[in-house]
Amino acid sequence: MNIKIASVDSVIIYFEQIISEKVLDEVQQTYIALKELDNIIDIIPSYCSILVIYDIFKYNHKSIKETILKKGSQPVGSVINDHLHNKLIKISTDYNQNLDLKRVADHNNLSIEEVIKLHSQTTYRVYAIGFMVGFAYLATVNKKIITPRLETPRNKVIKGSVAIADNQTAIYPQDSAGGWNIIGHTEFDEFNEFSIGDKVQFVSIS
Amino acid sequence: MSFKVLTSGIFTTIQDQGRYGYNHLGITHSGAMDEYAYLWGQKLLQTVVQRTDIGVYPYNALEVMVGLKLLAISFTTIAVTGADLNFKINDVLQPIWQTHYIKSGDILSFDKRVSGQRAYLAVKEGFILEKVYGSYATTLKENIGSKLKRDDILDFKSYPKADTYRVKKTYIPNYKKPLTLRLLLSYQENYFSKEEKEKFFNSEYEVTLQSDRMGYKLKGQAINPNQGGIISEAIAFGSVQIPKDGQPIVLLKERQTIGGYPKIGAVLPVDCFSLAQISMGSKVRFEVIEIEKVEEIMKKFSQSI
Repeated sequence: MNIKIASVDSVIIYFEQIISEKVLDEVQQTYIALKELDNIIDIIPSYCSILVIYDIFKYNHKSIKETILKKGSQPVGSVINDHLHNKLIKISTDYNQNLDLKRVADHNNLSIEEVIKLHSQTTYRVYAIGFMVGFAYLATVNKKIITPRLETPRNKVIKGSVAIADNQTAIYPQDSAGGWNIIGHTEFDEFNEFSIGDKVQFVSIS
Repeated sequence: MSFKVLTSGIFTTIQDQGRYGYNHLGITHSGAMDEYAYLWGQKLLQTVVQRTDIGVYPYNALEVMVGLKLLAISFTTIAVTGADLNFKINDVLQPIWQTHYIKSGDILSFDKRVSGQRAYLAVKEGFILEKVYGSYATTLKENIGSKLKRDDILDFKSYPKADTYRVKKTYIPNYKKPLTLRLLLSYQENYFSKEEKEKFFNSEYEVTLQSDRMGYKLKGQAINPNQGGIISEAIAFGSVQIPKDGQPIVLLKERQTIGGYPKIGAVLPVDCFSLAQISMGSKVRFEVIEIEKVEEIMKKFSQSI
């Protein structure tokens, strides 16, 4: 890992700058280890980086780096391993409530049934959370159903919409504008449960 | 023991020092745009400093952008700091950056922008409200809190008349002074060539109307990174993001938690607070500052208030 100054009271830890499950595991493990540090104001992981915002009365840019290197290089304990392997969130999904399932099917020369099957048989991981509260970027979708965003985003996508954009999938945690392809709907409402690295499965109830 | 809102003003919200510890869920920090003025308001009203372990005062204030009119339904002590919005009690102009005792029946108004953009109206021990995720800060896009509306009631505790406290003149900022934003080169600074950086630091940028609590969009000499996008990463307060049009955006209290545009660095928080007070159309410049210097300035800042 490579630690750089981000602002007066934050540093950013860079991992290999690619989107991969291997890097995600490193981010997740380091994130879990760093959460134990004191005098940290916020710690925000993403695909291949972690921003650490610290109390400037307790650390400076040098001491925070040393602290992170020490903490981040400690061997990963069994608790972390359990966490890594066990947390699985299942999302009951009604694929009948869709607006763009046909678009996704047509784009990939598949039947609607095949798209549903391919979308629900993958176990995804949470790579990042952002854009809006509780919006988890889940990857990676099967390459047979990769579909670009809509050319014109919708003014309103309803809460609970399950959607695909390129090789990622997600659930809209609230009504919002959005350009992802909507392929289903869920009543799932525990968006604060998502944490980086978690495993997520969509289960068809249609 | 409350205020009744007679006129809501254009964008009046409850704010505090922000909502920390939830960025990983996508919840933005929010809070007072000009923390300097906000903190002075808190300090004027506290006899004993009761900050939490991360240096945060436990109360709140109204962030006022002009047009607010309140009716006091009880007596208490208030503090008004920040922008000069022609603050009046019962139609009589009052000095700001100080405390005032108010009585039942008093009408408080902020009717005209004289200098600055945001005033802070605090009451002793804060308005009585529920915290959401550990903070009183309003964030409209997250449906946390709302803008003040006519007939809203703001509850507070009544306090008897006490000594008046004022901020020393030397600590009161002049919002009409030209502003230079001191910037720590960071993040993707190496995406910007020496020539692009020179352009950036030698140009004047205008504050555009597309500026709000999320960020201030500037207009001027476009600068271009040698790569247009990055893998989305978390964004620190004051980060200067360069989108595809090359026009910088200084990301402030309601910034998105993660984003994929290159960032040349981060503006010193105290300068971000000043930025929140200058008028649309003003010109700003950027200047490089080193980390050691920045740490010293920020510590002095935190200790001074």
